[in-house]
This record gives sequence, C-alpha cells and structure tokens, in this order.
Amino acid sequence: MKIMVCLKQVPHQDARLDVRPDGGWIQEDNIKFEINSYDTYALEEALRIKDAGGAEVVVVSIGPERVTQSLRTALGMGADRAVHVKDPEADASDPLGVAKILAAIAKAENPELILMGLMADDGNSAAVPPMLAELLGFASTTSVMKVTRSNGSLQAERELEGGALEVVELTGPSVLSVQTGINQVRYASLKGIMAAKRKPIDTKSVADLGLAGKVGAAAAKIKIEKIYPPPKGKGAEILTGSTDEIVNKLVGKIKELGLL
Amino acid sequence: MASILVIAEVQNGKVRESSYELVSFARRIAKAQGSEVRSLVAGKGASAAAEELAKKGGGEVYLAEHDLLAHYSVDAFGKAVRAAVAAASPGILLFSHTPIGWDLAPRIAAALDGAFVSDCFNVEESGKLVFLRRVFNGKLDARFVPSASPVVATFQPGATSPFEGALDGKVTPLQVAISPQDLRAKFIEVRTAQKQGVDLSKAEIIVSGGRGLGAPEKFPEVIQPLADALGGAMGASRPVVDAGWLPHAYQVGSSGQTVTPKLYIAAGISGAIQHLVGMKNSNFIVAINKDADAPIFEVANLGVVGDLFEIVPALTKAVNQAKGKA
Ligand SMILES: Cc1cc2nc3c(=O)[nH]c(=O)nc-3n(C[C@H](O)[C@H](O)[C@H](O)COP(=O)(O)OP(=O)(O)OC[C@H]3O[C@@H](n4cnc5c(N)ncnc54)[C@H](O)[C@@H]3O)c2cc1C
Repeated sequence: MKIMVCLKQVPHQDARLDVRPDGGWIQEDNIKFEINSYDTYALEEALRIKDAGGAEVVVVSIGPERVTQSLRTALGMGADRAVHVKDPEADASDPLGVAKILAAIAKAENPELILMGLMADDGNSAAVPPMLAELLGFASTTSVMKVTRSNGSLQAERELEGGALEVVELTGPSVLSVQTGINQVRYASLKGIMAAKRKPIDTKSVADLGLAGKVGAAAAKIKIEKIYPPPKGKGAEILTGSTDEIVNKLVGKIKELGLL
Repeated sequence: MASILVIAEVQNGKVRESSYELVSFARRIAKAQGSEVRSLVAGKGASAAAEELAKKGGGEVYLAEHDLLAHYSVDAFGKAVRAAVAAASPGILLFSHTPIGWDLAPRIAAALDGAFVSDCFNVEESGKLVFLRRVFNGKLDARFVPSASPVVATFQPGATSPFEGALDGKVTPLQVAISPQDLRAKFIEVRTAQKQGVDLSKAEIIVSGGRGLGAPEKFPEVIQPLADALGGAMGASRPVVDAGWLPHAYQVGSSGQTVTPKLYIAAGISGAIQHLVGMKNSNFIVAINKDADAPIFEVANLGVVGDLFEIVPALTKAVNQAKGKA
C-alpha cells in the first residue's frame, strides 16, 4: 500500500512573529522553520502503518528551498521518498490552490491513503485535507485521534467537542486529517538521518503538474489584505515590581477573593 | 434575488446556538447587500428544528429529511448542501467552525470552486466583504478578502450573539437523493469522553500549566505544589496532554473540559482560542507568561509578564506562609 503524507513547513512555534511592513505576512528572514506540528503526527501515523505491515510512505511539500530540510527530516524519520514542489508560482496559493497542487501529485502517485495534519500552525485554515479529498473523489474525515485498518476497511475515531469521539468507517481511498496527540512522534535516528541522504527528493514545478496559471497568488480566490497584532482590549492589569512585590500583590488578591 | 445560505446544525433535536449566530452574521451581510437569508436543516426527524429556525431565524428554511441523514456523514450532508445550493444559488454559504463545519465546508468550497475562509470571528459587510480571523494560533489577526463567488466561510462559535427576533420564516421541503453507497465515510458510533477521576468542573481554584512548562516533571515540581497550597486542582493545555505529560482528564478547552472556577491561574499558556473557550468564564483569571503579547493577557484580570519558574514557586511559598504553614 502507498501512503502519501503532506507536510507544510511553518515558522517554529517559538519564532518571533513580526509583521512585514506591507502587512502581507510575517517577516520570514532570520527565523527558524519546522514541520507543522499537526503534520508530524500524520507522518508518525503513516510510519506506524509502515512498521506494522509494510507501506511505502511518500512525503510531499510545497515551498522554497528551505523546505528540503523538512523533507530530509521526514526521510530521516522513515519516509521512503519525497516530492518537493519548488516553484515561486506556487507561493501564496490559497488553500484551494494548495489542494489542486497536491491533487495533481496524488493523481500521479495514486496512494490508497493520504494523511495530513488537521490544520497548519500558521494559517490555521484546516481547509486543505477535505478539499483534496473532494478534488480526488476520495473519502475523507478530519481531526482523527485513532486509525484502525482491518481487511479493506478503515476505521477512524474523530474528535468532537469536549473530547468525545466519533467512530467513522471509510471505504476506498481516503484522506484523513489527524489531530495532535494521536500518537507520540518519533525523532529521526542518526542511522535514519544517514540513510535519508540517499533517499530521493523529486522536484516539481507548477508547470510540470499542468497547473500553470491555475494556482499561486494570481489565481487565489481569497487574499490576505493584511495581518496585524490583535488590537489590545482592556486586557489584564499587569503586575510590576520585584518577584516579592508581585507575589505579595497576588496573595493580597487571592485573600480579597476570599480564597485564602 | 441573491442569497446567503446558512447551514444550520441540529443537536439533540434543537438548532445549535452557533447556527443562530450565523443567522446574525448572515442578516448583517444581507442587509448591506440587499440579499436574502435562507438556511438548511438536514437530518432525520428534523422538522421541529426547521420550524423553530424559521420562527426564530426567519427566511426560507430548506428541510432535507432522509434516513441517511440521521447521523452526520460528510457525504450525505454534502448532498443536502449541494441540493440547497442548487435551489438557492447562494453567493455566500455560512457554516459554524465545529467538527461538522470544518469537515464539510472545505469539501463544498472545492466542489463549487469557490473562495474559502475559515474560523472567522467577524465580517465587515459595508463596501467590500472582509472576513476577520486569527492566524498563528491566535497570535496575529488577519483580514481576508474574497475575489470569487461563491464564498464559503466558517465562523467561530460564540463569535457574535445569536439572532433574536421572531420572523415570518417558512419551511420548504428539499428532496435529496442519497443511497447507502454514497456514504464513503459512515457514522458508526459516538463515544463520550471519560473523566477518569479528575472533574475540574467542580474545582474552585485551578492552576493550569501549558507547553511553557517544557517537561513533564515540571507539573509535580511547579504546578501541583501551587494547586495544593491553594487547595485547588491542577489543569493543563492540550500540548501537555498530547505529549503524554498528563492524562486527558486534566485538559481544559474546547476538546477537554469547560471550567468556571473562582480562580484560574494559567502559567506558560499562550491563550489560543481553543483553550480560552474552556476557561474564559472563570470568575477571576491570573496569567503568568514571559511574552507580554500573549493573547492570554486579553482574558486575564491580572497578569505577570515573567518567568513562571520564578513566579510560581515564589507564589507557592507566599501562599503557604500566608496560611501559616511556611
Ligand atoms: C480542534 C482543536 C481543539 C483544540 N482543543 C484544545 C483544548 O481543549 N485545550 C487547549 O489548551 N488547546 C486546544 N487546542 C490547541 C490550541 O490551538 C493550542 O495549540 C494550545 O492551546 C496551545 O497550548 P499552550 O498555550 O500550552 O502552548 P503555546 O501556544 O506553545 O504557548 C506556550 C506559552 O508558554 C510561554 N512560556 C514559555 N516558557 C515560559 C516561561 N518560562 N515562563 C512563562 N511563560 C513561558 C510562551 O510565551 C507561550 O505563550 C485545540 C486545537 C484544535 C485545532
């Protein structure tokens, strides 16, 4: 069986987020990037299926040169091959544009299962996995916390509000978006990292995929006008002073609340 | 006339509050655009819910009734939405950003080759349409402008007040052809969350730790002692539970517990919306975070911008001293 895992490289969770002067996005120079946290869980889930019964795991990512680093990490963790869509024409695609690019790759790869993260830590849209399923005519479900496979059918437990779980049975090729915490994600071993150096990364352009003019900023059906730090409301009263002074004020407040 | 289609959700036989919030947004846009609001109720035995929506939300309510709509399935509900789209030719479709909304809305947007925007907290309707939403897990806000039609948008539950005001709505039955083979993602059952001993909903004081704790042992070392000193309970944000540092029963937020203690202390928690919805109605909130711009300070009453590893142990000591237990 072949599993395709879609990875997005995003600013590191602890990176400083400064808005670009034109407000279009954040300043990306001199910050660290990493694989989107949700996607690491998707990759781990694919590798577990591979470990359990054999599967070929193909990782796919769209983005500039720096994305190679994330693909190498994924290969080091155990993925078999990588496809890198490296083309400025793909930049600033809206989620539907991204889904169209991934659909073109999926059509060539013909996977039985596509695993992705529920959403990305930067855009937070949670849009691409169901869109990809729709474009491919695949079954889909989202926010998956458990995957079980038994003779041809796939069961997924999806998370609902309050932590309740809904069991869903999927028939045929499927796209699953996984929620964080579905598993414990492995680290790439030294041996894995060495082996990854010999694993292939196939580079594609938008034109290679037959999508010239159909994706990217110009084709986006929705655009970011600007991003900005959230306006400050009344907000909290910020305590200042030495640690002792701060702590005394806190204790005073707790007493005032009648809790001490 | 151009229309805005609200995709309502029915839970336990009732239209969800978040659906009435969508009606509020839809009415605002409709007023500015001179369009009308229609909605869809899909289910089995959902006619009472549809009547309720027609009375309280107004406009034409399509009622799609089918045995295969008894439980949510993206395929069956997708067919109902497509039938409503065929009937109403909406320029805008509104969904709630709920497990149903985020499962279904992007598929519909792709099927209609439309503009998609999710998890919005507001919309500006005068002049051009602008959808407001958060990015980077609540750390930045963004303005999204669609340039294609239809627009498919999901809205955060609680983003506005539910629509109020009785209106002259009417229910129109909508035929939807669904066969069992259409259901490629099929509902089997729902398992409710288990509370394994920790019931935070009853605690008067909760001290919660987040990813800022950095390591599992910091919970017994730093967070639990303050909770103990105050006679309260310990809580956590999701990444703590995801990493296996604490069981799910400790998780506060949209996929964990909703709590309203007299005092909620959040240490090393940034304040993503999914955490906030679980604790923002606490009586008094104290936030300790080294990042002065962390969104948690917006909902907190008192804030400390600093290192939790310095503040929390000092506070624990001071509380114990105040109790004469130094
Ligand atoms: C469908 C869905 C459901 C979700 N459900 C939940 C839920 O139920 N509950 C929940 O919590 N989240 C939930 N999330 C996840 C949520 O989006 C956030 O990812 C999560 O709340 C972030 O947790 P955090 O604040 O601990 O981590 P981060 O956002 O990484 O924040 C860590 C904070 O610690 C601070 N910090 C670091 N070191 C220190 C120090 N030494 N001293 C002081 N401060 C420090 C940092 O400045 C930062 O603000 C859900 C997400 C989705 C998509």
